[in-house]
Amino acid sequence: MTKANMTRRQALKTAVAVGLATTGPWWLVRGSHGARAKKLVFWQLPNFTPLADQLQKEQVYEFAKSAGLKESEVEYATVSNEGFAEKLAAALEAGNPPDVARLYESNVQFYAAQGHLLDVTDLVDKMRREPKGIFDSSLTAVRYSGRAYGVPLAVNPWPVHARVDLLEQHKLDYPKTWDEFIETCMKIQSPPRLFGFGMCLGLVEDTTDNVMNLLWCYGGKMVEADNKTVVMNSPENAAGVKVIEAMFRTRKIIPQGAIGWDNSGNNKAYQSRQAAFVMNPTSIYAYLNQSDQDLQKRTGLFPVPAGPKGTVNLIDTWAFGAFKQNPYPELARGLISYFMQPANYDKIIQSTGGRWVPVYKRLFDSPFWKSKPEFKHFVSMAETGVPVSYAGSPTPAAGEVLNTHLIPKMIQRVLVDNWEPPRALEECHRRIDEVYARNRKV
Amino acid sequence: MTSGLDPAVLYPDERAVPTPVLRARRRLSLTRRHEARLAYALLLPALLVILGLVAYPFVSAVYLSLQNKPVGAPGRFVGLANYAELFRDEVFFQTVRNTIVYTAVGVSLKFVLGLTMALILDQERRFNNVFRMLLFVPWAVPVVIAALNWRWIFDDLSGFLNNFLITVGLTRDIISWLADPRLAMGCVIAVVVWQGTPFYTMTFLAGLQAIPRELYEAAEIDGASVVRQFVHITVPRLRTIFLTTVMLSTIWTATNLQFVLILTRGGPANRTEIFPHLAYVTALGARRLGMGAAVSLAFFPLLVILIILLTRRMLSQTDD
Amino acid sequence: MPRTTSGTRLLFRWIGNGLLLVMLVWTLVPFYWMMATSLKADQEIYGFEATLVPHHPTLAAYVRLFQQTPFMKYVRNSTIIAVSTTAVSLVFGCLGAYALARLRFRGRRLIARGLVFTYLVPPSLLFIPLFAMMSALSLVDTHQGLILAYLGFTVPFCTWLLMGYFRSVPLELEEAALVDGCTRLGALIRVVLPMSLPALAVVAFFSFTQAWNEFLYANVFVNSVEVRTITTGLTLFIVEDVFFWGPMMGAAFLSALPPLVVYLVFQRWVVKGLTLGAVKG
Repeated sequence: MTKANMTRRQALKTAVAVGLATTGPWWLVRGSHGARAKKLVFWQLPNFTPLADQLQKEQVYEFAKSAGLKESEVEYATVSNEGFAEKLAAALEAGNPPDVARLYESNVQFYAAQGHLLDVTDLVDKMRREPKGIFDSSLTAVRYSGRAYGVPLAVNPWPVHARVDLLEQHKLDYPKTWDEFIETCMKIQSPPRLFGFGMCLGLVEDTTDNVMNLLWCYGGKMVEADNKTVVMNSPENAAGVKVIEAMFRTRKIIPQGAIGWDNSGNNKAYQSRQAAFVMNPTSIYAYLNQSDQDLQKRTGLFPVPAGPKGTVNLIDTWAFGAFKQNPYPELARGLISYFMQPANYDKIIQSTGGRWVPVYKRLFDSPFWKSKPEFKHFVSMAETGVPVSYAGSPTPAAGEVLNTHLIPKMIQRVLVDNWEPPRALEECHRRIDEVYARNRKV
Repeated sequence: MTSGLDPAVLYPDERAVPTPVLRARRRLSLTRRHEARLAYALLLPALLVILGLVAYPFVSAVYLSLQNKPVGAPGRFVGLANYAELFRDEVFFQTVRNTIVYTAVGVSLKFVLGLTMALILDQERRFNNVFRMLLFVPWAVPVVIAALNWRWIFDDLSGFLNNFLITVGLTRDIISWLADPRLAMGCVIAVVVWQGTPFYTMTFLAGLQAIPRELYEAAEIDGASVVRQFVHITVPRLRTIFLTTVMLSTIWTATNLQFVLILTRGGPANRTEIFPHLAYVTALGARRLGMGAAVSLAFFPLLVILIILLTRRMLSQTDD
Repeated sequence: MPRTTSGTRLLFRWIGNGLLLVMLVWTLVPFYWMMATSLKADQEIYGFEATLVPHHPTLAAYVRLFQQTPFMKYVRNSTIIAVSTTAVSLVFGCLGAYALARLRFRGRRLIARGLVFTYLVPPSLLFIPLFAMMSALSLVDTHQGLILAYLGFTVPFCTWLLMGYFRSVPLELEEAALVDGCTRLGALIRVVLPMSLPALAVVAFFSFTQAWNEFLYANVFVNSVEVRTITTGLTLFIVEDVFFWGPMMGAAFLSALPPLVVYLVFQRWVVKGLTLGAVKG
């Protein structure tokens, strides 16, 4: 054997050995691929307070025990919001989504339309039979083709968080109309330290919510109730957009940097006492409850001011969905049912410190809510609130419009590229129309 | 140095070849025949990894781009329809421009800064080790966190930068770093450069450290200036490393969406929209996987041309 | 020695020191900001004045981090995964890089270019088919699965970079070894690797930090706390539109320390190895 041959053989042997050794675990694992061991898979999104998270975990295991499951048969995975979309997408593509997960707004209809969710109409009906029932406004998000595919767990109005101490200081009342609102802001603000209106204008969901909420007060909307006719390029919308333009450019009650904010931008602005009014769900309020009770005392929660066409308030809905690729659907439905038993449900709601607003109307009568005068408007806001897709419901098309930020792009055309509002609305209308048309074909 | 393992060049005069070299030459010529087999054996593990973990998903991504495929639903073959829709959109061309500017400026700045710092860190200095470690910090932090941190530093109302400038008196007004169409791209590039320079610094430094001091000392005795030493000793030795580093970094920069996603989300008004971000919003925001794949692949031709051009010289056999 | 050169050297040294200072400040201020934030009370974090030094430093964020999250488990998992990924990538990378740098064979250019092409499709698109594969092979929620996924990213990069470094090693040294009776692999181990110590350290180092800091695959491929890494744990502090900056920055700061410490140690080892090599060669 010559030295050269030895070299080659040695090299081959080494390579194969290294290859086998390092991929060894893979070979071992291949053999063990079989039926899934877990009977109940729950993906938990953080519930805002550690206490709520803890309670939810306990409830999952309590239910599992009562259903005769061993702890090892339950998979409880905490998933952060950042990356939830990727995780769920990958899981669906691979054919193993979780059994139960919390879904936002139009996601329920999106997955229902694809046939991924279990019909839970009976669970919702059971909730409606409770004394006083539930806020029916929460049902627009979870209904698809007349059946419910999600169980609404929280109805969240988007009140105006207002610095009542500043209003008192300037001897002003909370403004009733948008015109008054602008005047009030100009009186109480002192830029650059304090701005009147922390309106979110970045390329994020909060902007769509803030902008549409204002446009509705001027009679505008995105799509008609038939979920087909897009009406973005209406004169009412143009009137509303002009108001936003005035707020930003001429009256300067909105910080210029709001164009670059993310969803936490308006939270930050309010929490750092640099904005007097922001429109946001009560995540700010709940945060203040935990970490800044001084500011919490100076904060009031109000409905949105009225435009020429009145006041329209925004709500968004979170719902539990049960995925069909589940060999044990009764367990999934059982878990959701367990969560929604009023006693269990109330525990979690109260532990979020005001972040979640109960979907059961009766719970608003409890001392927890009665002792918070800030929430006195909430019942009517939850009753009459509409989703961001108004006048349509949160369909997959509406979800795509929200997720691809078509309306923030429209407002940035006006505020950054200096387009005339009708021109920007025309482009936005065209794009939204494309989205709706494409989703109809499917 | 350019001879390769060619004894014919080492010993041009056949008659004067000593026996050990003759034996070596025989061994070497055998080796050359089996060179290929040895090479494949050595490459086998790496190739397995690449084929198994990258090639298959790569091919499926290409196939995906030819389909109308929403997340969670089966796909429908549509040929080049996705690409047609993409090229019709005016945002596409702005995205191409933005991506080219973002990548070119980012990589150039990283190269210059990286090389400068590598040369400086190669000088003898006390605590050099500590300095090298400190300059590595941007890479030691996850990209998500670094981007969030910078997002806050650039924040208009409560950001460190504005606060600092106003306190020190350099400006009176708030500067909207990430919301001003003139500043946004610059700020994003600044963060990219901040995070990516250590890669250049460290790879160049490693190359510099392998150059024996004797070469410089010899050149100095011969009277060469510092600049001449740099041009004639350092640069030739580092040329391959320059190319490999720039090549890898260019692709990483051009396909990284994290910074844009966290800092500006493509705004204001599409000023910082780049390909990877557009692909992400399409694939996961609009949940159109097919279209998202098409967006991602639409930028490939440019990158592929760049790779081929840059690596042509580097991979030619007679290179030193 | 000619005076002009040493004069120039001195000038360059002072310029170098100046630039180094500027660069250190620019590099470290954000990191300092991160650390300072982790020591501030929530109210101060959101205060208008971006205070450089916390007024009332508090360890509350760190307490919350350790009490409410299984942070040490995350550290353990990150370590296992990062170290394994690095070790395997180095081995595969060295072997492959040597082949590409020194040997002649058909397909050499194609394979070399192919290494770079693997990065054209970024993880943000690859993760879905990759997850489907992992799922089919029951590798979800395992260390091995994540390590394998990371290899797809680190092996091409290790191979590619090391190829560049190996080509910079002077050929005569290898030729001398071969003439002396060494096998090709022997030449690799005895000549090329020692001369490439700085390169090996850098490449190992980058692989380690990439695996340590990676988010997307770690998020998608892992559900259970037993396998979760630090980066996915970090993002749990972002709850919709509320950022719990204190604990998040605290965790990020702690998470950055191991790579930095390892780097410092590696640097010493590399310098020692090089000086030894210089004496021998």
